[in-house]
Amino acid sequence: MSARPKTTASRAHTRSRSASGAIAVWVIALLIALVATIQLRSQAEVERSLQSADPSTLAFSIDQLHRSNDALEAQIASLKQQQATLQAGGGDAVDQQLANEANQLRMLEGLVPVRGSGIVFTLDASGLSALDLQDALNNLAAGGGEAMAVNEHRIVVGVDVEQSESGVTVDGTLVSPPWRFEVIGDSNRLVETADLMTQQLRSDRRVHEAVYVVEQDLVVRAIVTERPFVYAISS
Amino acid sequence: MARNQYVSSALVAVVALAVGFLLAGQVKAQLLTPSNQVARNQALVHSVQDLERTNDSDRKQIASLRDQIDALEAEAAGRSDTTRALQNQVADLRAHAGLTAMHGPGVKVGLTNGSPDADPTGKARYLVTFQDVQDLVNLLFAAGAEGVAVSGRRITPLSSFSGSEGEVVIDQGPPLFSPIQVLAVGDRNRMETALDDPNLLPSLRVRQLQFGLGVKVTGAPDVTLPAYDASLEIPHVGPA
Repeated sequence: MSARPKTTASRAHTRSRSASGAIAVWVIALLIALVATIQLRSQAEVERSLQSADPSTLAFSIDQLHRSNDALEAQIASLKQQQATLQAGGGDAVDQQLANEANQLRMLEGLVPVRGSGIVFTLDASGLSALDLQDALNNLAAGGGEAMAVNEHRIVVGVDVEQSESGVTVDGTLVSPPWRFEVIGDSNRLVETADLMTQQLRSDRRVHEAVYVVEQDLVVRAIVTERPFVYAISS
Repeated sequence: MARNQYVSSALVAVVALAVGFLLAGQVKAQLLTPSNQVARNQALVHSVQDLERTNDSDRKQIASLRDQIDALEAEAAGRSDTTRALQNQVADLRAHAGLTAMHGPGVKVGLTNGSPDADPTGKARYLVTFQDVQDLVNLLFAAGAEGVAVSGRRITPLSSFSGSEGEVVIDQGPPLFSPIQVLAVGDRNRMETALDDPNLLPSLRVRQLQFGLGVKVTGAPDVTLPAYDASLEIPHVGPA
């Protein structure tokens, strides 16, 4: 008789242990499932985010890459032609090709005057800084400019554009507004770029004038002087 | 009895796991963008990846063709003094145009995105932009750099910078993202002094403080820059 209450208590205790065990199993299983799912899905998302940006960024990349690939394919065709000429011709062909390349590189590096179609862009504003000039030059270069000068100073990457106390200098010479940009390059692209630039600039209170004209035969006479390397060694 | 308990516990665990997966899936699904938008993005990503592969293969082909042309020219230069003189001129011009690899003393600058949590402006000012890279490259040239490369892309006299949020495109791409490494060969002391000047690169320095953008400058006795590996053409320009 005395054993009965003990058995009841023991059963109640066992039932309670079993219930708390089941709850523990539930909680642990839920947690594992939650963590595992979050982990799996997070990994998938990270993989996606590594490759992806917003659609406009991706569209911009696609546009850039199409343009790049077209230019590279044109370059491959040109190099193949050069190679064929060198293989077929003798020493004269090699000399001619080297002379052509030297002339092309001199034009590209701003060492000789050049001509071609393009635009003349005029910008007059108060408080213009070296950063404004660098941005304008970069926009024109990215927008199809192949040879440029500002106020009769030839510009290629590497030419010093700096802020001094008296204003903006190009290669140490003060360049005061209005700035007159002479830009030779793909006229269609340059016009698009110039349109965007004028729209943007006219909304800037500092700007008095932002206009451009298209020129079929523009001559850029300004040149830069080649600087020999002091520190660099060509491999 | 004990067996029944194990079976029921296992059953409970399986049901709990299934409920947990469903619950987590539901919570995360609400955080994800709608599936058709993801699919559209994926299609765009695949297009970018295909174009990048073509771009890479074209660049390799250009490098190989240039090597073959160089060999043909060197062979011809061995037979003629005129050709040799012309070849030397072209080699010097190519070096200045960034068409040959170079090395020498210089600096390495690492640029990394800051923290989005620190940027309440919603304008993604914590990201490294193409303007940051453009300003840095201009500063390095003004401070005595003789050659500069950005994440393996050599800067040429025609180089330009563009891009959108967090994306940097130099010349004809492909797009670069943080971390960006800028290498410069030239007057190391002048470049290091300029990079230490708190008045230069104002936008980058302000955002460095506000949003934790990373700017790490290291001087080095010998930095190597790769040659430019793409198209360097000026089809609309002729001699005056």
